Amino acid sequence: MTNSIVLTLLMSLPLVGVVVILFLPVFNNQTDFNIKFVANATAIITLLFSIAILPLYDMGVPTLQLEDTGSWIDALGVTYHVGVDGLSILMILLTTFISAVAIGSSWNGIDKQVKQYYIFMLLLETGMLGVFLAQDLFLFYIFWEFTLVPMYFLIGIWGGKERVYASIKFFLYTMAGSLLMLIAILYVGIQAGTFNLPELIANRELYAGAQQWLFWGFAIAFAIKVPVFPFHSWLPDAHTQAPTAGSIVLAGVLLKMGTYGFMRFNLPMFPEASTNAAPIMATLAIIGIIYGAIVSFAQTDVKKLVAYSSISHLGFVMLGIFSLNEIGIQGAILQGVNHGLSTGALFFLVGVIYEQRHTREISEFGGLWRAMPVFAVTSLIVTLSSMGLPGLNGFVGEFSILLASTGSDALGDSPWIYTAFATSGVILAAIYLLKMYQGVFMGPLDNPKNQALRDMNRGELAIMLSFLLFIVWIGIAPSIWFASMDATVADLIQNVVMMAGG
Amino acid sequence: MNAFGLAPLLLILPIIGVLFNGIVGRYFLDADRSTGEKWSGWFGTAMAVGTFIVSVLIFFSLGANDHHAEIVHLFNWFNIPSGNFTIPWAMQLDTLSSVMTLVVTGVGSLIHIYAIGYMHGDRDFHRFFTYLNLFLFFMLILVTGSSYLMLFVGWEGVGLCSFLLIGFWFDKPKGEGILNGDAARKAFVANRVGDFAMILGMILTFWAFGSMEYEVVFESALDLYTTTETVFIAGIEFTIPQVLTGITVLFLIGATGKSAQIPLFMWLPDAMAGPTPVSALIHAATMVTSGIYLIVRSNVLFEIVRDSGHQLFGIVSAPDLVAIAGAVTAVYAGLVAFTQFDIKKVLAYSTVSQLGFMIAAVGMGAYVAGMFHLVTHAFFKALLFMASGSVIHGMEHGHHHLHEHSHGDDHEEDDFDPQDMRFMGGLREKMPVTFWVYIIGSLALAGIFPFAGFWSKDEILAHSAYGLGVGEATPVFTFVRWMLTIGAFCTAFYMTRQIKMTFFGEGRHEAVKHVPESSPLMTRPLAFLAFLSLMGGALNIPYLTGGGGEEASTPVGMTASVLAAEEDKGLNLAFEHWLEHSIQAFTLEEDFENVVGPNGEHFFTHVPHTPTSLQYDIAISSTLIAVAAILIGWYVVFRVWPRSKEDPDPISQWPVVGFVWTFFQGLPLDTLYMTGIVKNIFNPLARFSDVVDWNFWHNFVHNNLIRDSFVALADFLATVLDPKGVDGIVNGVGQTARNLAEALRRPQTGNTGNYALSLFLGVALLVAFFVFAS
Repeated sequence: MTNSIVLTLLMSLPLVGVVVILFLPVFNNQTDFNIKFVANATAIITLLFSIAILPLYDMGVPTLQLEDTGSWIDALGVTYHVGVDGLSILMILLTTFISAVAIGSSWNGIDKQVKQYYIFMLLLETGMLGVFLAQDLFLFYIFWEFTLVPMYFLIGIWGGKERVYASIKFFLYTMAGSLLMLIAILYVGIQAGTFNLPELIANRELYAGAQQWLFWGFAIAFAIKVPVFPFHSWLPDAHTQAPTAGSIVLAGVLLKMGTYGFMRFNLPMFPEASTNAAPIMATLAIIGIIYGAIVSFAQTDVKKLVAYSSISHLGFVMLGIFSLNEIGIQGAILQGVNHGLSTGALFFLVGVIYEQRHTREISEFGGLWRAMPVFAVTSLIVTLSSMGLPGLNGFVGEFSILLASTGSDALGDSPWIYTAFATSGVILAAIYLLKMYQGVFMGPLDNPKNQALRDMNRGELAIMLSFLLFIVWIGIAPSIWFASMDATVADLIQNVVMMAGG
Repeated sequence: MNAFGLAPLLLILPIIGVLFNGIVGRYFLDADRSTGEKWSGWFGTAMAVGTFIVSVLIFFSLGANDHHAEIVHLFNWFNIPSGNFTIPWAMQLDTLSSVMTLVVTGVGSLIHIYAIGYMHGDRDFHRFFTYLNLFLFFMLILVTGSSYLMLFVGWEGVGLCSFLLIGFWFDKPKGEGILNGDAARKAFVANRVGDFAMILGMILTFWAFGSMEYEVVFESALDLYTTTETVFIAGIEFTIPQVLTGITVLFLIGATGKSAQIPLFMWLPDAMAGPTPVSALIHAATMVTSGIYLIVRSNVLFEIVRDSGHQLFGIVSAPDLVAIAGAVTAVYAGLVAFTQFDIKKVLAYSTVSQLGFMIAAVGMGAYVAGMFHLVTHAFFKALLFMASGSVIHGMEHGHHHLHEHSHGDDHEEDDFDPQDMRFMGGLREKMPVTFWVYIIGSLALAGIFPFAGFWSKDEILAHSAYGLGVGEATPVFTFVRWMLTIGAFCTAFYMTRQIKMTFFGEGRHEAVKHVPESSPLMTRPLAFLAFLSLMGGALNIPYLTGGGGEEASTPVGMTASVLAAEEDKGLNLAFEHWLEHSIQAFTLEEDFENVVGPNGEHFFTHVPHTPTSLQYDIAISSTLIAVAAILIGWYVVFRVWPRSKEDPDPISQWPVVGFVWTFFQGLPLDTLYMTGIVKNIFNPLARFSDVVDWNFWHNFVHNNLIRDSFVALADFLATVLDPKGVDGIVNGVGQTARNLAEALRRPQTGNTGNYALSLFLGVALLVAFFVFAS
């Protein structure tokens, strides 16, 4: 196997930015601007680098590519192993894109401890890339835990009024799940004598006897992260308290780490257990879809409304994964990206308005279309994307997932019942999102505080246009996006079905 | 040389219009109001006219192409190779989509022109034309898409435009803007309920036939049905009639949303909050007919279900259900229409009722008659809406004039509503052009010979009486026939009431005295549509020989080839000859005459056929009914319309009828939905769920159960088990736990940095432990 250094390089790029920022004050007095500039430059270079390495990625190859391996702790069978395949390639791009957007969107909003803020943002990016690239369970776990720390500080220092409560809750919830996963990881690693994922999958009979337990060890950690109902209680707190960029990253990427974990670890390592658990997971998924949507409708705070809508949207992703067929998994991966784009954009938009008004109550607004027409139109497109309007990205993922669930062999005798319940989420999405949209943008502009609002500036518009580019592209021409994962997913499903069936 | 290659222009031109008006329209308007309006309006109109020209070229190309369908493939949309799931963006150009594109772009162009006049002076002039072009774009995707999924793109897209346009005046004062927003949202949500069914129907189609493209689905369905094969969906076996019953019923629900039928019709009357050109284009002539188009497009699926005799839950077959839904809606909406005072709401309920006629027609298998009525209705209903817009415009001007000359003492003027017919009366002399085109539109709507509506409505009624052959009418056909006859009576009746109220008698408000006739930009398109409403029947004039039930038996069962042989007899049934190339059901009986199934069964012996000659008994009786309704309305019920706007409607004073009137004026079904479902079920459910989520999951489970027990445990460990500290590591962990406990106990106080640091150290220790343990 030839080692490629590009992925290691990609992961290290944000760290280079961190080092530069650490030494910045030595050179210049206007540190704030320099720090912001370096952080933005780092994020954009990382994004461009992740795009530049795409030609090296062969869409026709189902297995890991661009691998980099090295020995680490031989006695425990722990290795350094990173690589990318169809399950993670889009996650990598999503991470670099969302990080760049999140860092870019912080230019005006962050006014205290600027240096630490950007250091944490860049550390977080490295951590997230590591999670998606690691192909060794031990390495994965370290990255998984590592992402908690910057996020904890981002919420705890730069967050809203209840930030300490929210950050600790976020931390403890995830930690609690992670501990279960750690036990499962140690068990698997000790039984198999290695933590290297491809070897673990190849030798899965070594720990297959305990897979019903191991599955849940991993599943609960991931389910908390997603979050799957009933593990969602940390999410509204974390989202409402996090600063804008924190919410964008949280919704855009961190939640996807959960859904990614199911596909990367649970399905190939525990195929029988995954198949057995499919009806349970799918049921939790549709409860999440409907419950999240209904609770979302009752919210009066825009950010909380969007936060609850994430529970509903991620329910679709979970349903796709546990349909356990090619269309479902591909729909789930793409819907993960879609959710990152549309919900990330929604949080960004909420941030734009919050910066000016310092409130997020729907009742405080109304008629904003008059004051901020460009903002209103971009918000409309993003809202529609979130609502699953065909022609925009959300529909592509949602429809694939709904289609897949009816054709699923893993969901018992009447899989269409799952589809029918999940599809009702389409109606509910229109109900809560239009309620929000009408409340904020329609009606008379009669609150004097809103009359002086400025429309989006160029920087904000540039960020929105980059979101919209992908929202429309995935919406009308998703072929290339599906093609990037088709081979890997086909391979994965074949293995799951073969192992679970035979 | 054909024009099929130009088809993408149908989508490109409107998008150019959207981008132009959406991006630079505002700057043009701000720079110079009247030049800006000219640019916005005429640019948008030019795009609409451009699509009309392309539609005409395609129409002639189809004729030159022996009416053969052409599929223009653009590029792939969905493509998941490993899941065998591919859906292209492709346009199906056939005689059916051609009819729809001509109606959409033709009526659309006229309404664009009209809107330049109607929207004159509106501060969001450019936004209006942006939306109109966007609507054209989605509507053309809907009717030219080659698959159900592409149809669905247009389907939801026009719903979006409908939402935007109903809420166009979202910031009108006095709470009206909020009501407009509510109406817009109601429309979208009601449509989404229909879309829910559409999505399920499409998914079922895919798993049954492996595709969502029309040609593949229809061919595969016919093949599987005539070989009596079954399909497996997720491992369960279904017969073709079973699957198709599911699919067609789901499509019917979708159609009731978009085409405003019972049970999802209640959004359409509210949709009248939008500007009048929108009501004419979207909520009368085009978008709301999508449901009819969907069913006509799926004619093969419906006819297979009809032929198999498969019944939903053993009660009623899917096509019969369609017919019943349409017939019941036709009567219900017809009854509500004569209780309304808002000039546009009368027309809105009338539209619901007429859509009911079309749905009933296609449910009975009268696909051509349904499409025929769709086309003539597009003419005369667009005409009526635009004429009502002209009236409203005039009333607003009159009212405005009154204000300007009343020196500010506008005390009792606050309740003035330019759309309320109780303020009108006597407009006949003030707006002569509007009056005459209104009369023409009304006569066409009421189905009076020789106006367009007469021919199309008569064809539907003739089908309900003789579509299955003489003496063969099923109870459902008979039911539909009588319901539609009542509906036809209502139609003539409420139009009489409206005309009397609006144009005759004395003006019931000062404003009437100052009403001007509208500008030529508005009246010329009206005149043109009036001409079409008068002559539209010529599209499909039946053979005038034959008459009564007896002779009707000859053409019943007449097949396409026989018809084709008679084609040279002139222009008779031109529309039918045109459409028969796209409606496969037309030839099913002929095609499968000799195909015998494994059990010796013959296929397609029950495909209904509309009589090809004029059924004089039906024609005369329905005309008499309409005339009777007009006469009763004119000379009996509304003989004298009250002179004051406070007086009650004369009809409400009659015994029995008055009771019915009051009942329907209360909009019984709307009330049932809004208070029954939305107010009493959904809203409380949402509030309840929120309380459960916050108080139970968030506060009780997390804060009380998990957090407090963790804190107690940590305290226990820190104070009882480990009072002094055994060694460094354990002490560190204990200290961390204690800090954690502190942090959790007083979440809003204390130094974040310290807690965070201890947590970070905890993790670092954990990692270090594993790393150095080796």
